[in-house]
Amino acid sequence: MKKTYAIANMECPNCAMILESIEDDLAGIREISASYHKSQLTVDFDESRVSEAQVLAAIEKKGYQVEGN
Amino acid sequence: MNEFMIAFITGLTTGGLSCLAVQGGLLASSLASQVERDFAATASQPAKKGKAAARPRPSGAALPIVLFLAAKLLAYTLLGFLLGWAGSFLTFDPVTRAALLFLIGIFMLGNGLRILNVHPIFRYFAIEPPKFITRAIRRTAKGTDTATPLFLGALTVFIPCGVTQAMMAAALATGSPLAAAGLMFAFTLGASPVFFAVAYFTFSLGKRLEGLFMRFVAIVVLALGFVTIDSGLNLIGSPLSVANLTRSLFPEPAAQPAPQVSADGSAELTLRAEDYGYKPASLSAPSNVPITLNVVTEETYSCARDFVIPAIKFYTLLPTTGVVPVEIPPQKPGTVMRFTCSMGMFTGQITFE
Repeated sequence: MKKTYAIANMECPNCAMILESIEDDLAGIREISASYHKSQLTVDFDESRVSEAQVLAAIEKKGYQVEGN
Repeated sequence: MNEFMIAFITGLTTGGLSCLAVQGGLLASSLASQVERDFAATASQPAKKGKAAARPRPSGAALPIVLFLAAKLLAYTLLGFLLGWAGSFLTFDPVTRAALLFLIGIFMLGNGLRILNVHPIFRYFAIEPPKFITRAIRRTAKGTDTATPLFLGALTVFIPCGVTQAMMAAALATGSPLAAAGLMFAFTLGASPVFFAVAYFTFSLGKRLEGLFMRFVAIVVLALGFVTIDSGLNLIGSPLSVANLTRSLFPEPAAQPAPQVSADGSAELTLRAEDYGYKPASLSAPSNVPITLNVVTEETYSCARDFVIPAIKFYTLLPTTGVVPVEIPPQKPGTVMRFTCSMGMFTGQITFE
């Protein structure tokens, strides 16, 4: 499942790096790409191994808010 | 003020904290691993990796921070050297240098507005490091040996913060590998004490404090942007620079009257290029006769030695001590001829009567 989230509080290019480190914490992430320029995070994950709720929780744990969430 | 001193103070006042905001996560990850290893026996739970999670005991934290900062200092000095070397190809003449200063100034203004969150469009002024680099940095941050902080410190060159990027641009503009390396060294050294202190005691600035601080950083970057564009204006002899506008709005009397025209129909003027500027900054000269401007240096080491007269496309590096005669062709009465150092920092003018 591929999802793109608008992130509310990305303040510098390295927020992208911090967000992408989610793939180190969660199993089942196939691809992850964050963009500071677009202020968004795109995650491709294996639903049989990780749920969207877990992905969202991981984003929040890193200190970021998903817009409209 | 000496440009290295300015770089050092910029590092000391804004560089440390703004870079910590950007690069602190790396250091924290590295320290977390270190502490996790050191206190594995006593810790009931492994230390969490992450920006705000790591609060290692200060005794165990000092060495890795010092290693991290030492590697960072070396890496940025090298980067400065390379930037200056690259810049040396771009700075053959003052006009190219002025164009570069305008670009850098716009880059700084864009970054200032980006930090202030004025509009999302300004985000494009920040350079995003390529994914393969950020991934490699992340992987390295998990290492637990003592080489990790060294390596991570060096890797910070790939994730410079806004103020550092501005300083890198200034290093490029020097056009000299040694001057650029010195500039980056002074800046990174200046940034180190605050980086160390904050990293040593805590990794997280309070959110509110961080917001306030970033606003301060933005204002400094905006100011640097304006100063850079102003230097570019000086360098092309524009009447619109702050120094030149001030001189036209509040004209100061020339320090000495225009020299007499000699029997051979020419005149001589003397200008001293000192460490802190040109004396006198306002000169008077007779019009319609060729002028010899003798530029005198005496143990002068600042950029005042890089002497530029944009209107006659004159550009030279003066000796540390000596006299260089500059031939100026006859000028019409009322002409104002501006001169400047190659950085656009020190300025002055000759008024033809």
